[in-house]
Amino acid sequence: MMNNSVLVIGGGIAGIASALELANSNRQVYLIEREATVGGQAASFCCKATEVCTKCSVCLVPQKVKEVKTHPKISILTNSIASEVSGKAGNFQVEVWQKPQYILPERCIACGICFDICPTQPKAIYLPSPEAVPYSYVINESQCLRLKGQECNLCQEICPTDAINFERKPERQELSVGTIIVATGFDVFDAREIGPLGYGRYPNVLTGLDLEKTFSYEGSLRLPSNGKEPHNIAFIQCVGSRNESHCYCSQVCCKYAMRFARLIKYQNPDCQVTIFYIDLQTAGKGFAEFYEECREAIRFIRGVPVEISETCYGELEVKFENILEGKVGRESFDSVVLSVGMAPRKDSWDLARILRINLSDDGFFDTKEPFNPIETNVDGIFLAGACQGAKDIPDSIAHGTSAAERAMEVLVRCK
Amino acid sequence: MNREDNKIVAFCCEHSAYQVADKAGRMRLHYPDNVRIIRVPCAGRVDVQHILKAFEKGAAGVLVMGCQEGACQHLTGNTRAKKRVKYAEDLLKEVGIDGGRVKMVNLAPDMAQRFIREVKEMAEKIEGEMRR
Amino acid sequence: MQVRIGIFLCDCGESLKNIDFSRIRGDLQRLEDIAFVDISHNLCLEEGVKAMTSRILAENINRVVIGACSPELCEHSFSRLLKGLRLNPSLLSLANIREQCSWAHEGDVTGKALELMRMAVNKARFLQPVEKKDIPVNKEVLVVGGGFSGMRSALELSRLGLRTTLVERESVSGGKLGEFESFHGIETTPEEMLSSTRKAVKENADIKVLTSAEVTRVEGQVGDFTASIGRGEEKVSQSFGAIIFATGYMTKILPQDFQLKPDVNIISQRKLVEMLQAPGKLERRPGTIGFVLDVSDENSRLPILSTLNNALAVKERLGSEVYVFCKSLKVDSEGVEKLYREARERGVVFLKFEEKPRISKEDGRVKVEARDVLLGEEVTLLCDSLVAEEKVLPPEGTEALSSLLNIGTDSAGFYQDENVHLYPVASERKGIFFVGGCKGDLDFTRTLADISSATMSIYKLLSPEKVIVEVEKVKVEPEKCRACLTCVRVCPHGAIQMVRVDTEKEVAKIYDLACDGCGICAAICPAKAIRFEGYADEQILAEVEAIGESL
Repeated sequence: MMNNSVLVIGGGIAGIASALELANSNRQVYLIEREATVGGQAASFCCKATEVCTKCSVCLVPQKVKEVKTHPKISILTNSIASEVSGKAGNFQVEVWQKPQYILPERCIACGICFDICPTQPKAIYLPSPEAVPYSYVINESQCLRLKGQECNLCQEICPTDAINFERKPERQELSVGTIIVATGFDVFDAREIGPLGYGRYPNVLTGLDLEKTFSYEGSLRLPSNGKEPHNIAFIQCVGSRNESHCYCSQVCCKYAMRFARLIKYQNPDCQVTIFYIDLQTAGKGFAEFYEECREAIRFIRGVPVEISETCYGELEVKFENILEGKVGRESFDSVVLSVGMAPRKDSWDLARILRINLSDDGFFDTKEPFNPIETNVDGIFLAGACQGAKDIPDSIAHGTSAAERAMEVLVRCK
Repeated sequence: MNREDNKIVAFCCEHSAYQVADKAGRMRLHYPDNVRIIRVPCAGRVDVQHILKAFEKGAAGVLVMGCQEGACQHLTGNTRAKKRVKYAEDLLKEVGIDGGRVKMVNLAPDMAQRFIREVKEMAEKIEGEMRR
Repeated sequence: MQVRIGIFLCDCGESLKNIDFSRIRGDLQRLEDIAFVDISHNLCLEEGVKAMTSRILAENINRVVIGACSPELCEHSFSRLLKGLRLNPSLLSLANIREQCSWAHEGDVTGKALELMRMAVNKARFLQPVEKKDIPVNKEVLVVGGGFSGMRSALELSRLGLRTTLVERESVSGGKLGEFESFHGIETTPEEMLSSTRKAVKENADIKVLTSAEVTRVEGQVGDFTASIGRGEEKVSQSFGAIIFATGYMTKILPQDFQLKPDVNIISQRKLVEMLQAPGKLERRPGTIGFVLDVSDENSRLPILSTLNNALAVKERLGSEVYVFCKSLKVDSEGVEKLYREARERGVVFLKFEEKPRISKEDGRVKVEARDVLLGEEVTLLCDSLVAEEKVLPPEGTEALSSLLNIGTDSAGFYQDENVHLYPVASERKGIFFVGGCKGDLDFTRTLADISSATMSIYKLLSPEKVIVEVEKVKVEPEKCRACLTCVRVCPHGAIQMVRVDTEKEVAKIYDLACDGCGICAAICPAKAIRFEGYADEQILAEVEAIGESL
């Protein structure tokens, strides 16, 4: 029996792109997402425009997320994972488990009454973000008194729509689908792995991801230590990329660093901005002109910092190899941003085992042959987005839509 | 509308500014309550006559809010809107209304803080001039 | 027909405490044409929907106004509800009294909510229904460019059940792929890839290949393009539903960038490939081969891709010493970092400069002088052959073709305007796509993703049994049209064309399938002959007028 529907595992931008193409071609799509909201990592990123667009493409995400939410042919299952898969192309059986839906997103109207009444600090019931889709409150299980075994039923009692119920259990579903697209995304490289760079020790050492969140909420950068604007900020490239354990370029860091650097400089013209790099990645549509602008506003130093320490004045001293001058350099900054790269998800091996697909040497999902970025070793299972290798937003969308095309070929063939 | 009501009419493009206004609300970021948002499919839909009509009917200020320059969903909509706002500004000056009462604002869907700032600035400007 | 408006207010589970809903209901009930004003706690939930449904069915209304949370959240489901009740979804008007009112203010929130409702009611009075219908589309696709990208696109379209006509300017298909010698680590050579693709295309009944042919004219809109194809003396006209441009790129050594004297012997990558393919024919094996990059163009990926592959091939087949001069290595493509490391392991030496190297001739060999930033020293290299970087350029005819079709190019002259909303493969005009090298962004893996993106987008457009459009949502009123051509010029999606209505008159016509609903035409028409349902002038002005209107 051939099945005309598709399972997309992962509700980030690539998964969403795949889902939309297939749904708009009149196929039923099941989009399962591990977290409580769809949109993935990119949904929390910020626009990096100065006076003109810098092509970061973050604005493409909310648009697609909204389309996926309202599409009649797409069933979104949040808080869900695939635990078992059997069958073959044209007819896969997938077991999907959904975490207990203590709050039903379909019934939550986000009125916030539960938030007001929750007794814990920080609140155990909260909205994941202002852009969350589904726009529904969620429970932080490690904070929630009820889930820790204590007596508390305040939110459940006060909810005007009966959306909350702590008795709910995990739910199991069996889906029959024709093809599967894996779009589980990436992990941000944990900068703590490079101890000498001080992330986690010094409050003013930040990562690119921290900047995304800060600009998205606050619209500007203030130093965590004193809330003031930065006067002297440095970016360090290739943190977690192009090294022995991550033998690839993460493709996004040089660009996001330059965009942030330019944005910070635009907001604080007196701020000095420095970028430490190995090789600058400046290829890509619409980037060359922007790069020229950056060269005037930003100080580029060829050389990779090895250590960050704190001076007695509370500044951050960066020790680096100044390649152009051929010696060790030391400079102080009030803030340092680590341009962290994209790493494969640590739980990829689990999904790889369930689907019987391979992982590459780098830990990303592998394709069946070179120059084929989509097909895995299993017929009917395809890859979309950063789970196959580091990519930026436009490339993830392209990858997602091309995975949809391959999936469509199977469905057309199996009809 | 009476001029004393200090109403600000904000034409907001559904792809950017309208979503930003929603985000500001979701974050419970408060701004002056004399703002009236009119949703449009693109800032380029806003015509000079719409801007002038708003003033004619008693608005104290008009904001036209669209996507970032270079990122308009419809490619040229925000550029056209900018030109029309400039034209409207010049016309208003001729009838004795300060040009600063109409402004083009470009923003992305996540810029809640920016939206608040622009609205507050316009409200303060109007109030400042009313007091004089 | 008399307007009869039904109003629903939602208090969001009674949480919008700063709005006095009964006062608003009282005020609204006093307006003309209001059939009822209902207050609900949860219009988005089953209970609320049921109540709305029975109310609408019980009353004879023809407009629905709802004051609730943001239309971004609820518009879609309310539209669906109306459709289910046989009310045209365009007859719905929404007021955002939650995110943009109750949650956003502290002052006179009820006053603002009331005004927002009045704005929505005023607008509702002018709403008109918009019908949907299905339109026929041509399911054939035109692919311009018979290189690897074009052929591969045609093959994918065929697997999806769509037929293509492939137009290639040269006498033989293949494009640039054959100029690559090998892909390191991959057994299949580019030449083999190309022949197997060519063979597959030839044997495919769904694909018609026209070589030595050029597209000279394209008219029409998505679903119904008419292309004129010239082949020598012949001219053929054919209809297509969509078009893919896979016109590729061209490369050129720009001697002025290298400040070369005329007799210095620099070669292109292609020439090197020729040497690699027939090493036996060489008079003398070159002892040293140099590559120079980042002189003409610092921002291109192709030079490093070719260089790494060819450098490794040189090491394998010629055993020469290989030196690569570059400013910044472009490694942001799949597999390139690994290729770079392997090249270093095989003994390829990479020298990085900040200032351009000086190239001259000495003793019949090419001398390259540069300051290597890694060593911190001046380096002089004498090589038997220097492979010069080639600048990647749009092929001839790009500008002409883009103005013919009214589509944009980027600042470097390659296809596709830089606007991010077009990424990855779209153009401003619906139904026209770009894949591969013609976009300027050269990289194998990205090209492959582009091809599948474009073919999927086309399948989505053309394959449904019924292609449904909103009919005349944006419409030119022919009696008012003065044929000034402003809207035609201004439409960013090229969706407006002049049509003849009788022997005397031509008027503008907006093509529903191509229209993207921006309203720029409606704003700019000097005769106000264009009506955009949902955002018509009288509807927007009605909203403006409602502000501060006394009851």
